[in-house]
Amino acid sequence: MKLTAPLERVLRVLVADPAAPHYGYDLMKAARLPSGTLYPMLARLQQEGLVDSQWEEPRPDASGRPARKYYRLTAEGARVARLELARAATTASGTRRVVARPAHGTPGGSS
Amino acid sequence: MSGGLSVQRIGERIIRSSCHRFPPDVAADRCREWTAELSAILDDASIRSSFLRALRALAFCAGIARTTWQLSRPARAGSRNAGSEQWRTGAPRARPGAMAVRVAVGLAAYLVVAGVVIGTTVLTADPRPSPWPWLLFVPLAIGFDAYCLRDIVRATDVRYLRKWVWALICLAQVPLGGILYLTIGRAGPAQPAPPGTPS
Repeated sequence: MKLTAPLERVLRVLVADPAAPHYGYDLMKAARLPSGTLYPMLARLQQEGLVDSQWEEPRPDASGRPARKYYRLTAEGARVARLELARAATTASGTRRVVARPAHGTPGGSS
Repeated sequence: MSGGLSVQRIGERIIRSSCHRFPPDVAADRCREWTAELSAILDDASIRSSFLRALRALAFCAGIARTTWQLSRPARAGSRNAGSEQWRTGAPRARPGAMAVRVAVGLAAYLVVAGVVIGTTVLTADPRPSPWPWLLFVPLAIGFDAYCLRDIVRATDVRYLRKWVWALICLAQVPLGGILYLTIGRAGPAQPAPPGTPS
């Protein structure tokens, strides 16, 4: 799984509370992503078995609003997401160290 | 309220037409999901202005329509439903357009801008030229350049040249530099923030 910046944002939101269900607009707001980016990503995560989706049960207090589709991480998804986010954090902190203090004679230290 | 209802109708129509690009088994599910999301946006109490809610709802539908259309292009060119299959299986990003099309669009945009600027200058040419064209064009040019520079900074990757070179080109030639960047140098959709930024 290639961890792009939008995917990282979505995973952070989902990992914050793996058991909490999120509908698409909720994720769009929390991850600050447009619809055209979010939904293909959710489809891919679902295809890979990292995210599960479930239709909302009709509720009497929902004032007639249409049922929403909720997404949440699977157990495998939570494990992979934590691993990828930790790896990204390690890479980012490593990059920051290299950029801040490039080693003498190291080419490409400031790219 | 009728404004909200008409936005909902317009949005539902956009969603339905986008869903036609899917295989039938996916289309109904997607259409139901996105229609519910549209209602959620229009009922979002955290956005106080109904106008802003309507704008957000339309942007939501436009994003879906754009990506669905982009992902369905391989389906038109090759096997049927190949693009929709990408939606079913998930697609990391939309494919960038063909280079010839991008260059043609960029050239056309430049000719339109140049034509408007030259035409306005000629039409308003008199011994005491009016400053209003410049009052209009200068903020537009600054805004366009700011948009391009913001896009360059936030992009994870740009094509052919380094980021700072594209930034210089954008600054050196307004608006041709920005148009060149958007049509040729832009690798894909801009990212909302640099990678590694905590949300």
